[in-house]
Amino acid sequence: MSERPVPPRQLWWLAAGFAVWCSALVALYAIHGIGCAFAWSTGSLRLWLAAALLAHLTVLGWMWYDAARAGADPGFGPTGAFLRWAVIGTLITAFVATAITFGPPLLLATCV
Amino acid sequence: MSEPVDQLSQGTPALRLHRQLSAIWATGPGLQRLAAVNHSVIGMRMMITSFVFFAIAGVLGMLTRVQLATPNSAFMVPETYNQVFTMHGSMMLFLFAIPMVESFAVYLTPKILGTRDFAFPRLTAYGYWCYLFGGTILTVALIAGVAPDSGWFMYTPLSSNVFTPGMNSDVWLLGVTFVEISALSLAMEIVVSILKMRAPGMSLDRMPIFAWYILVTAMMMIVAFPPLILGSILLEVERAFGLPFFDPTRGGDALLWQHLFWLFGHPDVYIIFLPMAGVLSTIIPVFANRPLVGYRAIVVAIIALAFLSFGIWVHHMFTVGIPHLALAFFSAGSAIVAVPTAVQIFAWLATLAHGRPRWDVPMLYVFGFFFIFVMGGLTGVMLAMVPFDWQAHDTYFVVAHMHYVVAGALAFPMLAAFYYWLPLLTGRTAVHRLSVPAFWLVFIGFNMTFFMMHLTGLRGMPRRIYTYSGFEGWNWLNLLSSIGGFVMTIGFALVVIDLFVQLRYGRRVRRNPWGATTLEWAMTIPPAPYAFASIPDLGTTRADSIAPGDLALSLARGEGYLGSTRNGWQETLGVHKTSGLPDQLIVLPSPTYLPLYTALVTAAAVLCMLFKFYLLSLAFALLTAGLFVFAGQSAGLARDFGPLPVGRGVSVPPHTEAADPPALLALICTLVADGTLFTSLLFGTFYLWISAPNWTAVVVPEPSRMLTVGAVAALGVAAAAARGSLRAATAGGRAGGWIGLAVLALLAAIAAAVGQIAGVVPDPRVHALGATAAALIGYVVLHAGIGLLFLISNSLRLGAGFISPRRVLDLRLTRLWLDYTLVTGVIAMGLVLATPVLVTVMGVRP
Repeated sequence: MSERPVPPRQLWWLAAGFAVWCSALVALYAIHGIGCAFAWSTGSLRLWLAAALLAHLTVLGWMWYDAARAGADPGFGPTGAFLRWAVIGTLITAFVATAITFGPPLLLATCV
Repeated sequence: MSEPVDQLSQGTPALRLHRQLSAIWATGPGLQRLAAVNHSVIGMRMMITSFVFFAIAGVLGMLTRVQLATPNSAFMVPETYNQVFTMHGSMMLFLFAIPMVESFAVYLTPKILGTRDFAFPRLTAYGYWCYLFGGTILTVALIAGVAPDSGWFMYTPLSSNVFTPGMNSDVWLLGVTFVEISALSLAMEIVVSILKMRAPGMSLDRMPIFAWYILVTAMMMIVAFPPLILGSILLEVERAFGLPFFDPTRGGDALLWQHLFWLFGHPDVYIIFLPMAGVLSTIIPVFANRPLVGYRAIVVAIIALAFLSFGIWVHHMFTVGIPHLALAFFSAGSAIVAVPTAVQIFAWLATLAHGRPRWDVPMLYVFGFFFIFVMGGLTGVMLAMVPFDWQAHDTYFVVAHMHYVVAGALAFPMLAAFYYWLPLLTGRTAVHRLSVPAFWLVFIGFNMTFFMMHLTGLRGMPRRIYTYSGFEGWNWLNLLSSIGGFVMTIGFALVVIDLFVQLRYGRRVRRNPWGATTLEWAMTIPPAPYAFASIPDLGTTRADSIAPGDLALSLARGEGYLGSTRNGWQETLGVHKTSGLPDQLIVLPSPTYLPLYTALVTAAAVLCMLFKFYLLSLAFALLTAGLFVFAGQSAGLARDFGPLPVGRGVSVPPHTEAADPPALLALICTLVADGTLFTSLLFGTFYLWISAPNWTAVVVPEPSRMLTVGAVAALGVAAAAARGSLRAATAGGRAGGWIGLAVLALLAAIAAAVGQIAGVVPDPRVHALGATAAALIGYVVLHAGIGLLFLISNSLRLGAGFISPRRVLDLRLTRLWLDYTLVTGVIAMGLVLATPVLVTVMGVRP
């Protein structure tokens, strides 16, 4: 095996996409809870929720773009290629999951 | 610096090597069996123990079916029925399902990874004993008639002191938490072992899919269990000392328990399912005669599944009054979690479709799994829809769904796994005349029992009622369900008979009867205590595409790594996490009674808590901590060795001198679990702030700024001193002074924090605001206290010569612990300092 070992810290990237999904869930659930508890207006609360969702989608989109643009480092051999494929796979999945899970609900009544 | 090797691997006769290794690795006879730490022994014990609990829980399930078979049954009084169904669920989930999947992981993982044992054998043994003692406490309580009776998820306020004043709830809270110690310790063990102890050459992309499943599952356990552990601690503290975390009349909220429980409870379904999916992904390619389709897609799917399963806990709480918009987040999440599950199911189907499938007993159970799990998955999607859930909530429809996804998804792959791997233990395969009827009895009985429950549920039968009047239209469905339960039990009994018959009269087979291509078949049958006489080098071969027959002979001759013995050490190899290149020689501890003694003392602490001998309980808890420190005194090697030859021309340092030893990763895993518990505590604090009906305190708190700043500053000094000790030791200087400074700083931090607790306003027993503040500061005190234990251990080991400029692992661990204590201390103390602001903000809300 002549290739360089993939640095173990790169394994964290396998969790990065869905960590952002988790962050979106926590942020949206918290904003919604606070907004309803303090009786924010519907428009204001919806705006905050949409902004939080958009911010998370932007981060995920950027991570996806960056991972796809960087390309596989041939020095890392098949292990590097496998991990890159898996990382991009989790990023795409997390992006789609974020959009589907948190997008449509924002159209519902806010605090009923 | 290299140690002489007893015998070169070249030319070593296999038998002689076997004898040498057996003398080092074997567990002694008689009472010495209690000192066993070997993964094969512990894995087998866990499997048998979990089956005993399965049998007990199964009998309890049968009793519920006898009670419900006919209307107005007087078979059980309501009080007994409550205990029976609560213990059925609790035992099945906590004493059977989780330990069973863990026992598979413990027994099989090292063998599939091509290594000799787990990273921390004494922890494996401690985990087992905790499981056994915790389960025994619950079982004895059942016999004594004081078993938990509030349902397996112990909802407050039913489980609180007011409505359950006896010890029933305490038994659950303490017994289950005790068992969870076992689950958590084994999960950490599994993560470290998979990442650090594979056969050389087994890079992550060549790892068997089973290992990916087990790795992700173990990581899920590390994050899933702490919220429930925290919930159990808080509820027990409420019951024992009156701190009202869940009491709405005093600023608490009963729904906080539901959140903490289901933050564990929902991922738990996947914690049970994923290892069994790993079994299927291993078995199906063997019987389809082709490699698994979609290896990479499955890896992505299980990572997605792991995360998504944490984000849908509220679907168990759709009827508690959460606004529609928030419900929709969890409804959508609950629906899309089916997608990664479907990816796996289609991958299995594609593997079968593109292969040349052959039928045998394991495949019967695979077929059973497909049928049952798809049914359960579909009703899961139905329940994910809020309007349907509102109709079906707390009815037998949910009971049916739950049994299809948890019981079916566990039982069928589990039996497939038994039939598949039993030849590895016995050298024999099943007697078809018994196996096939046994399968059909289980399959028909299962569907007859639980399918009917869908119908009774849709006809409005609520769960947990002990009887019914007979005019509701449920009679014949309940009767059929009960008959089905008995048919299923007869099937399981036949399975047990079949397994015993197989042990004695099964058809003798050669090694690897199924033509498998994974490493566990490249060893002696039954597996020797050292698993592999020498450790395989995979080269560029995938670990699920090997030829076990040829490899087994070569390994037995000692032609792999570590094909000889040295100093009577239990040796195995540590590898780089991603590439699988050897990077250290791991010397494992020998059999010892210490795990048993430590678990006994821990059990004494739990029992004293149960019987309200609180000071005695504290004393036993401290003794447990002391035994951990004592165990640490003999860990590692007492001198420097430098690189040691491990065979095939490779030399690596022992783990005590390695840059990335297993203990470091273990502590990181521990801190992740600990951090999850801390985050859950923060969540609880904010949840009560925002949701509890009577949170706004009568008295505005006034935490002392001086004590807060003092505690945080002292923690900072301790963390800095720990860094100083590490620098000094690495440079060959004296670290003792720095350790002393860290001890003093921690004592000062503890004193300041205890002073802060003493002055908490409102009184923690009067209002949840004070209770959460006390819990946050208590967390800091506990961690500073454990930091003291680290420092005491450092000091002792420094004196005993276990620390040198090359061997500074102890000090690295202490630094990491004290850094964590500082960070969480700043957050916890800062939040307590901010409580007056929180009260003011809440006071001005509309």
